[in-house]
Amino acid sequence: MSPAPVHDDPADVLGPHALLASYCDDARWGLAVVRATVLEAAHPQIGAALIDNSTFVTHPWRRLRNTLLSTRRIMDADPDVRDREAARLNRLHARISGTDEAGRPYSALDAGARAWVVATLFESTVTLARLSGESLDGPSMERLYGEFRAFLALLEGNADALPPTVPEFWPYYDGMLARGLENTEAIRVILYKLFAHVPAPPVLRGRPAVWAVGRAVGGPAAAMVVVATLPESFRRQAGLADLPGAGALSRGLHLGTGVATRLLPKAWTRTGTVMGLLDPEGEELPAVLEALRGRTGQAAALIRLLTPDRADAGPRAGDGPAARSADRFFAEVLDQTGNGTLDWPDLASMAREIAGRLDLDAADEERLYDAYARWWRELLADLDADGDGRITRGEYAAAASSLAGPALIRLAEVLFATADTDGDGDISAAEHRALFRTAFGRDLDGRPDGEDARARCSRADFVRDFVAFMSGQRSSTAYDALLVQA
Amino acid sequence: MAEGPRGTPRHVACVMDGNGRWAAQRSLPRTAGHEAAEAAVIDTIEAAHGAGVEWLTLYAFSTENWGRPGGEVEFLMRLARRTVRRRALFLHARGIRCRFLGTGDPRIPPALARDMADLTELTRRNRRMTLTIALDHGGRRDIVEAARSLIRGGVPADQVTEHSFAGHLPHPDTPDVDLVIRTSGEQRISNFMLWQVAYAEWIFPGALWPDFRAADFRECLDTYRRRDRRFGGVRAPAASGKGPR
Repeated sequence: MSPAPVHDDPADVLGPHALLASYCDDARWGLAVVRATVLEAAHPQIGAALIDNSTFVTHPWRRLRNTLLSTRRIMDADPDVRDREAARLNRLHARISGTDEAGRPYSALDAGARAWVVATLFESTVTLARLSGESLDGPSMERLYGEFRAFLALLEGNADALPPTVPEFWPYYDGMLARGLENTEAIRVILYKLFAHVPAPPVLRGRPAVWAVGRAVGGPAAAMVVVATLPESFRRQAGLADLPGAGALSRGLHLGTGVATRLLPKAWTRTGTVMGLLDPEGEELPAVLEALRGRTGQAAALIRLLTPDRADAGPRAGDGPAARSADRFFAEVLDQTGNGTLDWPDLASMAREIAGRLDLDAADEERLYDAYARWWRELLADLDADGDGRITRGEYAAAASSLAGPALIRLAEVLFATADTDGDGDISAAEHRALFRTAFGRDLDGRPDGEDARARCSRADFVRDFVAFMSGQRSSTAYDALLVQA
Repeated sequence: MAEGPRGTPRHVACVMDGNGRWAAQRSLPRTAGHEAAEAAVIDTIEAAHGAGVEWLTLYAFSTENWGRPGGEVEFLMRLARRTVRRRALFLHARGIRCRFLGTGDPRIPPALARDMADLTELTRRNRRMTLTIALDHGGRRDIVEAARSLIRGGVPADQVTEHSFAGHLPHPDTPDVDLVIRTSGEQRISNFMLWQVAYAEWIFPGALWPDFRAADFRECLDTYRRRDRRFGGVRAPAASGKGPR
């Protein structure tokens, strides 16, 4: 890393030369993000927003992937890319607001809450660096802190909600731990539900048994490790049990991963590798990582070959264009937040996922959200029998067949128009990839047509496929990858 | 690649014949013969690997075999799957690149196709030896496919040469076969890699395939080395290679 030039412009602290960029590029940083999420969740505003809006319990891998991608954009060399991503995050957060169970309003744009998010990320990065035996020295810590403040400034316009220097940061942090946090439901959901129920990552999909075994051991261990590294006062306040041996386990794990990071080929511990695993079909890895993706492909092939498999297993779910039962469609596709009912945050999360994938600008994003909102009103009008503003599984099952209303078709058309970036009336292979990140594969015709760059999808086909999928009449590999998996 | 240690064949192909007879001689069902064949396959791979053979092709199941009774075909597919899964690490550890010929048939069970694709992917970077399993392969069909591919590519007739034609065959990097071993004394080609065996030496050991062992394989290599390959001319410049250009 070349010595970073000193700039007065806060935005220029970020970029590929930043200390933070090298952390983002290290797969271990994922642990810091998880740990920071637990601390974030204790903030009353953030906890409420997470419980109501976030899909991370049902789709944690997608969320991790999106977080990594977003961080990478924030660290881009081009300030325009950073500004664009910051604007996108702001739009995304602006849509997240409401009132919690105690009737207090919350908003993802709250300056104090956002400062706390950045503070926990900073503290987690520092703590995990210390635990893995690579403590930051004073100047590095100041520099990293400056970068985190620049990140906040990029989002907020200023970083006033965070103290200006590291020595002033710790009293703020301790003060928040002592007074600003609550024992929110979100903490428990993350620690116990997320780790215990985390679905298989894309690589291991199709091997549920292997994943279940790994998760049974790894889930509690992960929860234990995260809890053990949390500040003592926080644990006391949140009533988190102090498990004997957890501290040693966590230090051993961090030290072990630290050593492994040094011993393993450098590329293996890069976040890009992790993203490759999260997204084996992905097309987005930079060329440098192409070779690496081959490695993860090899590893996945080996895992599949070595894991026992029922010799005559029937076709797996989602393999064919078989109709999905209304119940399963509800659970797997519609109920994105996994709370058992269909409400606006479920549809908003679909819009959010698509807007993020296509990197839409503000106007297109608005159109997409509008289309989703119209569909939501249509669903409410058609399905919400008791008028409580939510659609339950039962209400859905009773009227599922009438789902393909005009607003859904309109939504399909809007989605088509936003995905058809060159506006030529067809979705090309590249445009299709941007949306589904897989090679062009029209599900209707059964056979994926991977290599053929000329393969195109017309507006009529696209709308028909989308409506058939969203109304639960047909499952689809492409839409499964977008909205069901991870 | 010059002559090497006096003509170790670069590309050896085995037609694994005699499983059924082996079983019949022991009053066992034909499937028992197939099962016993696995040991011979592993032995042969080890022997070829040890002898420095760079390309080994095994003819496991031909297009015509689909005509066998359903139970036997199904058994063969299950056996192939089990073998692929059980031997994947063994093959990978020895630096053997594995590929399959003729796996496009929709009658091949999806699970087996998946495993074959995985094995190919796993061993893709290995270079010590390339093992090609001709499963559901037909030599004529390959040639027809190559012709179709040429026509689709719009190649003018006068530009079609032996060399350019070979580029349209499956796995075009495969060199010509130097030695074909067909066990059980049968002396037929049976539609096997017709294009690639044009200048191959043929050896027909009497052993039935399940009895074929590393020692038999090495004996075939010795026989091959003693033969004087001419490629139709007076004396070949090299004992291996792509054949005449």
